[in-house]
Amino acid sequence: MSVAFSTESAPPAPSQAADPKPPLLELRGLTVGYRKPIVTDLNLKLGRGLFVSILGANGAGKSTLLRTISRRLKPLAGEIFLAGQSLPSLKAPDLARIMSVALTDRAQVPMLRALEFVALGRHPHSDFLGRLAPRDLLMVEKALTAVQAGQLAERFVDELSDGERQKVVLARALAQEPKLLLLDEPTAHLDLRHRLEILAILRQLCQSQGLTVLAAVHDVEVAAKVSDLVVTLKDGRLVDLGRPEEVLVSATVQSLYDCPTANFNLALGGLELIPDGQAGRAFVWAGQDTGALPLRVLAKKGYALATGLFPDSDLDAHVARALGAKVFSYPSQKPPTPEELERLGELALGELATCDLLALGRPLAAEPMGELRQKLLRLAQRLEIPVLELGPTGELGPFIQALDRLKTLSTSAAA
Amino acid sequence: MEAVLDVKLLTRRLAGRRAWVFLILGALTLALMAINLAVGSLTFPLARIVDTLLRPSESGDLAFIIWKIRLPRVLATVMGGAYLAASGLLLQVYFRNPIVGPYILGISSGATLMVSLVALTSVGFQMTYVTPFLTTIAGCLGAYGVMILVVAIAAKVRQGATLLIVGLMMGYLCGAVTSVLTALAEKEKIKGFVLWTMGSFSGFKWVEIGLLAGLGGGLLLAVYLLSKPLNAFLLGEDYAASMGVNIRRFRLFILAAASALAGLVTAMAGPVAFVGLAVPHLARLSFGTSDNRVLIPGACLMGAVVTSLCDLIARMWLNPVELPISAITAFFGAPVVIGLLLKRGARM
Repeated sequence: MSVAFSTESAPPAPSQAADPKPPLLELRGLTVGYRKPIVTDLNLKLGRGLFVSILGANGAGKSTLLRTISRRLKPLAGEIFLAGQSLPSLKAPDLARIMSVALTDRAQVPMLRALEFVALGRHPHSDFLGRLAPRDLLMVEKALTAVQAGQLAERFVDELSDGERQKVVLARALAQEPKLLLLDEPTAHLDLRHRLEILAILRQLCQSQGLTVLAAVHDVEVAAKVSDLVVTLKDGRLVDLGRPEEVLVSATVQSLYDCPTANFNLALGGLELIPDGQAGRAFVWAGQDTGALPLRVLAKKGYALATGLFPDSDLDAHVARALGAKVFSYPSQKPPTPEELERLGELALGELATCDLLALGRPLAAEPMGELRQKLLRLAQRLEIPVLELGPTGELGPFIQALDRLKTLSTSAAA
Repeated sequence: MEAVLDVKLLTRRLAGRRAWVFLILGALTLALMAINLAVGSLTFPLARIVDTLLRPSESGDLAFIIWKIRLPRVLATVMGGAYLAASGLLLQVYFRNPIVGPYILGISSGATLMVSLVALTSVGFQMTYVTPFLTTIAGCLGAYGVMILVVAIAAKVRQGATLLIVGLMMGYLCGAVTSVLTALAEKEKIKGFVLWTMGSFSGFKWVEIGLLAGLGGGLLLAVYLLSKPLNAFLLGEDYAASMGVNIRRFRLFILAAASALAGLVTAMAGPVAFVGLAVPHLARLSFGTSDNRVLIPGACLMGAVVTSLCDLIARMWLNPVELPISAITAFFGAPVVIGLLLKRGARM
């Protein structure tokens, strides 16, 4: 899915469909790059209160685009409008009141307390000497509180951890009271907790204060979860612009990063690596969420997968498809007739015959298809296919140990 | 557990702490000025010194020593220290580099070159009319010649590192010419010249004090008024631009102001090592901030204190022999800075 995109058919910002005001940010035929163009002919309009992620592989031009919009780099062609005014015509202080930036490079300032660092953001608002009026102090306080960094106020910025510093950097950008916030990899170098915190804070600011965030993001999962809109860049063009739910289908993600072995599943909200099948083929007996974890374990160990037999709305079905498995399932809306079930069962048995392993998910109190389960087990015994079983508690440890033993056994047999 | 944040209270507490440091430094400056006035190879009762100061018309040895020798020297020392510190601070902020000082761009080498021309050769002999000011004028020409060159180059070069290397090369170029002149010079002239290159605040004339106060004071005021954009520069040029600072114009201003301040002092007192490099660190450590609205006056006061103290030592340690001030500043100051930085976790 790589449909060329034109400005006029841009999906309106979800909340601002009929805004009479000019768009907050508009790009017209913009070409960016350093002497040589990196991204050409960008057209885009953004309203207020949106979280917009720019996605693309390394070198796709995400940061270059941000540099150009923040006026640190001259466009090679085209125009940029901020709230209806052309970017070159804006005076520096006026621009600073509309747009602020938070960059990836770690702002290393010696001997400056977080409080003072954030107060620097009041630059475009404070008086000639930079003295802070009561309102400035209030905004500094609000910014620090918004990023949950109030307790860091007195600490020196160069003594903070990466996550803490990123919060303070963000607070500085917010203290500038921008309408548009440009972020370059806002969660780079951050651990899970800080990444989630910062993204939640940004989302909340977009929704409650009408701030628009334009962020270069390298993590598709993050982009899918927090963005209102995503912009995808590839081969020097804007490939897609739209809601992540529409844009981020697996094929787009695969082509965006030239990575056919990764599978992006929006419902699960994550990227999965499709196993190459070098370890062999495994059939997983699953259904009612009993198989999701064994499926992941086997995929990680390199087994190509097949699984069944359950309705296609089952969690196991989603996981299995994301892992590139062959799935034997039936539509959940229309329960299958006994004959159809019979036929599916035959197919599953046929598939098992080609496999090197049968894995049984956590047993259920009442197996809806106990008969087929027995058939599979008997077939496996007859063909001497090893069987691995997950205990009733669903504990994975013994399962993985058994799997590893099996592997050493087969390799020593081969030797 | 989120502590309740009260920015107003915190700001007031920090400001209070800094006011104390200002007060202490101010008191130290005044005390050192008084000591420098009172102490010397000849000692006089304090009451008579005060008396002389209050009644300038009085003639005699004491009046001559106070009004012609000690007072100009005390004032020159205070201003010289302050300007060098401010200059170093500006360049450290501009280059975002802690080991930068006022002489990094070759100001002192330029001044030294021109002074060596008049001191080591007979170029200056015909100009009897300007003889008393010959060294100062030569130093001025050298320092500002290099400054104009560096600022002109800075207008074209964007990278700070490139500019640093240009300044370094300027220093080598001037140094090369100076060493040729030294090799060709007569022995007796060399000692005087070498002593000049190590700086001294002695022999200031009131005209020079007036120039130092007028020009330097004006520059310092301009620098202080621009402490707000200077603060934005703390985060680097990209951030400064995004906060509304006109980068191109401001870069040139910083360089020109820093060079002009250092050039002024160097032309009159010779190169004074260490003060411009180290005093900004001492000021940052004692005020606990990089906020230039605090640091510009703070570094000036600290510079005045440090330089006054060093001048006192230079005059009195091996009395009646007077030592070059650079020897004292570096010898006593460098270990102090190293110690402080190690103690505070080497944060520059």
